[in-house]
Amino acid sequence: MSESAIITTNDVNLWYNGKRALDSVSMSIPKNKVTALIGPSGCGKSTLLRCFNRLNDLIDHVKITGEITLDDENIHALGTDVVMLRKKVGMVFQKPNPFPKSIYENVAYGPRVHGVKDKAELDKIVEQSLRHAAIWDEVKDRLNDSALGLSGGQQQRLCIARTLAVEPEVILMDEPCSALDPIATAKIENLIELLKQDYTVIIVTHNMQQAARVSDYTGFMYLGKLIECGKTVQIFEHPKEELTENYITGRFG
Amino acid sequence: MVKFMKKMHGVMNASGNTARVSFLKEQAIKTVFFFTALFAVIVVLFILLFLLRDGYVIFEKVGVLTLLSGATWAPTAVEPLYGIFPLIVGTLLVTLGAMVFAVPLSIGCAIYISELASPRVKQVLKPAVELLAGIPSVVYGFFGLIVLTSFIRVTFDLPTGETWLAASVLLGIMALPTIISVSEDAISSVPHEYKEGSLAIGATRWQTISLVLVPAALSGIAAAIILGVGRAIGETMAVLMVAGNAAIIPEPFWNILSPLRTLTATLGIEMGEVSVGGDHYRALFGVAVVLLIITLIINLTAVAILRHLKEGRKRGITRKSLVSAYTQESFVRFAKFPGFLIALVFLFIVAPLWLAVLLLLAGVIWYFGRDRLSQKYIQAVAFTFVVAAAVIVLAILVIILQDIILNGLPALSWEFLTQPPKDLGRAGGIFPAIIGTLYLVMGAIAIALPLGVGAAIYLVEYTREGRITRLIRTGVDLLNGTPSIVFGLFGFAFIVLYLKIGVSMLAGQITLALMVLPTVIRTTEEALKNIPQSLREGSLALGATRWQTISRVVLPPAVPGIVTGAILSIGRAAGETAPIMFTAVVFSSRFLPDSVFQPVMALPYHLFILATNVPGASTNKYGTALVLLLLVIGFYAVAIIVRNHFQKKSRG
Repeated sequence: MSESAIITTNDVNLWYNGKRALDSVSMSIPKNKVTALIGPSGCGKSTLLRCFNRLNDLIDHVKITGEITLDDENIHALGTDVVMLRKKVGMVFQKPNPFPKSIYENVAYGPRVHGVKDKAELDKIVEQSLRHAAIWDEVKDRLNDSALGLSGGQQQRLCIARTLAVEPEVILMDEPCSALDPIATAKIENLIELLKQDYTVIIVTHNMQQAARVSDYTGFMYLGKLIECGKTVQIFEHPKEELTENYITGRFG
Repeated sequence: MVKFMKKMHGVMNASGNTARVSFLKEQAIKTVFFFTALFAVIVVLFILLFLLRDGYVIFEKVGVLTLLSGATWAPTAVEPLYGIFPLIVGTLLVTLGAMVFAVPLSIGCAIYISELASPRVKQVLKPAVELLAGIPSVVYGFFGLIVLTSFIRVTFDLPTGETWLAASVLLGIMALPTIISVSEDAISSVPHEYKEGSLAIGATRWQTISLVLVPAALSGIAAAIILGVGRAIGETMAVLMVAGNAAIIPEPFWNILSPLRTLTATLGIEMGEVSVGGDHYRALFGVAVVLLIITLIINLTAVAILRHLKEGRKRGITRKSLVSAYTQESFVRFAKFPGFLIALVFLFIVAPLWLAVLLLLAGVIWYFGRDRLSQKYIQAVAFTFVVAAAVIVLAILVIILQDIILNGLPALSWEFLTQPPKDLGRAGGIFPAIIGTLYLVMGAIAIALPLGVGAAIYLVEYTREGRITRLIRTGVDLLNGTPSIVFGLFGFAFIVLYLKIGVSMLAGQITLALMVLPTVIRTTEEALKNIPQSLREGSLALGATRWQTISRVVLPPAVPGIVTGAILSIGRAAGETAPIMFTAVVFSSRFLPDSVFQPVMALPYHLFILATNVPGASTNKYGTALVLLLLVIGFYAVAIIVRNHFQKKSRG
């Protein structure tokens, strides 16, 4: 690939309880682009995504081999600070998961845990992040209301704002629209388009139209293997592998 | 329905009569279960009624205000004074002290169990906490009297260690299991998504726990603390044995080395010596009414919070909190302040000077250096405290058990277990007490089991959630929160005197039955709810009647759960002293009773008298305590084994 890579994986394998979930995955994620991971359920795309911020560490009995680098540094190297890694690699989950706190506190949470105390600065970060996540106008008059009172789509944009507030380099999105209606989905997709100016976005999606709409690069996974990966246009119009073509044309999955 | 019946008659003319009979039978069965379910509500009303019946005279005579605010409690003086203000203050102070001791320990321990402990450590800690809950209160009181008070007497160089401090520490220990298990449950059921969300932002584990998990579990933790408060306020025997029982307000009021007296202890001490029908007798019922009202309010609050949470959980994570997010946040911010003050007061009065200075220094360094410390150090310090809390809880259990076991073992002998007591219990054995206790609990469960199971069947199988079930559930909850001494008083006033049954085994069995009824109802309800709905539908679809479905399809697989609940109730009843103290027991009897209308000996009461009234029975005291402990723990162990056995079996 021509662009410089921010994340690379080299022969990554992963087992849950001895069951193989990732099978020698090697790929590189270009900087300031949107990369989509597609494939049928259980193909390992979410697992791969959760490798990038080491969220799989939370699960017992997981074994990983191979190398994953972020900015040319191995994220599994001894002495890697997982906390710092996760600050650099933010994540938006499948189901919106705002904390049971006020809207303001949800966004301020990240900066606070990373040591920002000054109220004026926090206010600034909160406003910027909410603006950036295209939700500011909808919530600016009720920042002290509970985040749980927002609609699903608003909650998800709030979660994106929460992620932006810690200024990550990479944003992982795990099927961010699967719990949302088409209008809310369109808003999130527009947002992703804007985000790639400043961030690298990796998005897992079930929805191939969505991948085609929002991503610059696409990786197709099947049974834990990365079958094919390249520019989205090329993957969708001239796939090299038969499996990819079958999946994209809807012959299975 | 009528149309349907007509159709039935048309189709099955020959069997029309049978259909009618079976319809009536179904109705009759339903009615019977309805009345068993209503029983709990009726009992609560009856208790209140009878306490008021005997107590209202004193309210009328002295005046509600004078009674509540009078500064002197001197019921036996030449000019008797019935001011229960010092008793109310005593109750509140003891409870406050117990919470200062128990809340930090419990929450630390709960955090450790839910977030830090490995599965193997959990397997040790959770039963340990259950064990702590299983120790009878009279055994706690005995341990407090022998070990804790002498420790306090020596440490603070006092004439006696029977103090507010001793009572608070002991009650704190007894409240630990309640607070730990309920708040552990609250923290564990915070949705996993919150934790992932926080960690994904780059928060440390401690930041995630302290800023997201604990705040999200706050209502559950609050309910846990309120339940712990209820437990502490309602406790009689343990507090009576170590508090010193002087009906005074400590001078100055934060002097935790002063003795004091609670509402419950007053009832426990004076009820046995009062002449029935006099002003003093009535005043004690007035005290009981006040006590009951306090505990009812506390328990209803806790139950309301927990119920709200449970319903919220069913609806998923987008529930709205009872209080707004903003109020919750401000509450957390302000709660830190009085907590800090209490800690400070506690530090300067209780702790030796060097410790106070050291802790204060640490606090100052922490306060000013916090911003310069990295989150990793903060996490390490916090986890040290959390682990320490768990270790302390475990250590408390070990200390109590080893004291009772090591000192009690030498007393155990064949003779001790099979002979009646001699020389006021200093020599001889405790055979009649063992048998008496077994008689009491068997009788109690024989009464409580049919009523409780019936009530549970009605609640689960015959009704939908509505006003009636809510009324019944509230009755059950209230009954569950009623202090055991109030049951004792009610048993005395209603069963012993009003029904003229006299102080007898039967009166004790009925009183204990009322006390364990809520446990039986709840565990049976759980067991029935665990039976999949599809089984019922399968049976009903084959044309079975409701009762046929319940008796042949629903009940059989629920039996292990019901049996577990019954055994747990037996264990609880076996350790209770307060309910039988005025209704069923005598201190000494050489022979076993030959009818249920005779009084019996019982282990907890025997231990209570030996510990408080018989000097020089050291070995036999410990022996009695050990036998009682083993008996109660034995029942719990059987219950747990039954539960685990059938859980494994049902998993296949």
